[in-house]
Amino acid sequence: MTCDAVRKLIPLYYYGELSAEEEDRAEAHIHECAGCARQMEAARTLAAALDRRRMEAPAELLEDCRADLAAAVRAARLEPARRPWRLWVEAAEATLAGFTGWRQPVGAVALIALGFFAARLVPAGAGVSTASLAPSEGVFVNVRSAQPDSSGHVRIAYDETRRREVSGAIDNQEIQKLLLAAAREEDDPGVRVESVGLLKDRAGSGEVREALMNALLHDTNAGVRLKAIEGLKPLAAQATVRGALSQALQFDDNDAVRMQAVDLLTMRRDDAMVGVLQNLMQKEDNGYVRLKCEKALKEMNASIGTF
Amino acid sequence: MQEATGTAGARVNPEVDSLVRAAQRGDQDAFEQLVRTYDQSVLRLAMNLLRSPEDARDVYQEAFLRVHRNLPSFRFDCSFHTWLYRIVTNICLDQLRRRKVRKEEPAVFETSEGEIDRMESFEEESAGANPERMTWNRELGQRISGALEELTPRERMVFELRHYQGLRLRNIGDILGTSEEAAKNCFFRATQKMRTLLGDLV
Repeated sequence: MTCDAVRKLIPLYYYGELSAEEEDRAEAHIHECAGCARQMEAARTLAAALDRRRMEAPAELLEDCRADLAAAVRAARLEPARRPWRLWVEAAEATLAGFTGWRQPVGAVALIALGFFAARLVPAGAGVSTASLAPSEGVFVNVRSAQPDSSGHVRIAYDETRRREVSGAIDNQEIQKLLLAAAREEDDPGVRVESVGLLKDRAGSGEVREALMNALLHDTNAGVRLKAIEGLKPLAAQATVRGALSQALQFDDNDAVRMQAVDLLTMRRDDAMVGVLQNLMQKEDNGYVRLKCEKALKEMNASIGTF
Repeated sequence: MQEATGTAGARVNPEVDSLVRAAQRGDQDAFEQLVRTYDQSVLRLAMNLLRSPEDARDVYQEAFLRVHRNLPSFRFDCSFHTWLYRIVTNICLDQLRRRKVRKEEPAVFETSEGEIDRMESFEEESAGANPERMTWNRELGQRISGALEELTPRERMVFELRHYQGLRLRNIGDILGTSEEAAKNCFFRATQKMRTLLGDLV
């Protein structure tokens, strides 16, 4: 082996990246050649100098990163607050899966159990039992008074709220009406998430699209907003939808929502977005959103900032 | 938990695999355990490459959010470690390339007391090192930072992964989507440049 050949191998030799055969030959040469031995020593010294710059992540920075990530994942994973509701839906869906005749071509079977809310909206009709001596399962009572009467009986006055369950295809008008109302008005964010999630594949309907945009811009729960943005994805080319996405990009305080919004808005060239993107470059803290804005601006040959 | 990193493409760590499968089923505790298995090395890689705690924090967040988002589609075609590092190195390379083009975010900046390395000052604040060592570290650090800046983003990445992260060049090739031979050539060029630029130190 010549000195030139060995010196080319020295970095790989030092890092143990030569084959056994190459290593033996290089080692034999270095052992015999003072010049190459000095080169080997120089490689060791360089590595030792570089080692002094080796650093571990400071514990505080690591903890900050973990906290940031946990918050972002919480916002993104859309876990409903009311777990039993979700479990009930999953169980019901699993049961229905056995009855293939019930399944719609696009799997759009929705089961709705909205508790008090459904009781408010669904008018009483056939099949609804009236109050009996003892409240039945699924009926919530609030006793207003309890008094003995002259015959020795007890007279009890109570209000009752009845839980109703309805089921039907997602295209059913009544089902959609319930879902739209739940998406807008239900107090429980878990129910809103589920409702928007069920509606999102029907964004072609004007009413559903409005509900999704409303949820994106006004819902206080980031999980609901993320579901809404998911539903608006196929409509991202429409001007009104782009307007809502642009508002979310500029003003939503949740990183995951802004990341989704910027993805949809920069999927294709849109010169009307230049001003919004330039303004964002001045104030946006999220690296991913900044990166996407910068890339889109470059593609449109626009300056990165405003001057 | 230690991930065997030398055999990309193989299922080298059953414990990690079972965590990945649990996380794919929506188990958030498993996802958190996965993060904690790798996040120190991810953050260290980002800090060493970008020399900025803020940028390292962004890389960390973006990388693990991408993992969270795409984990359901991970099919074990390579080890989880390789997949994760593909994500992390892509994000870091994008940042390094942007800096090369825009010449922004220099690791060293001017103050009334001379040049300060952003990461040196960060280290000093947190470590409380003694003054002589701080001075030596600062000078050495500036020389090395300057030399590292001369490497191409890809050379820098290969060098970082080999020297500081201790990955094998074969694994580095898998992570960067290239051959072991190409990774070797890249590493060789990086070490030659470093030797030339830091020749008087060695």
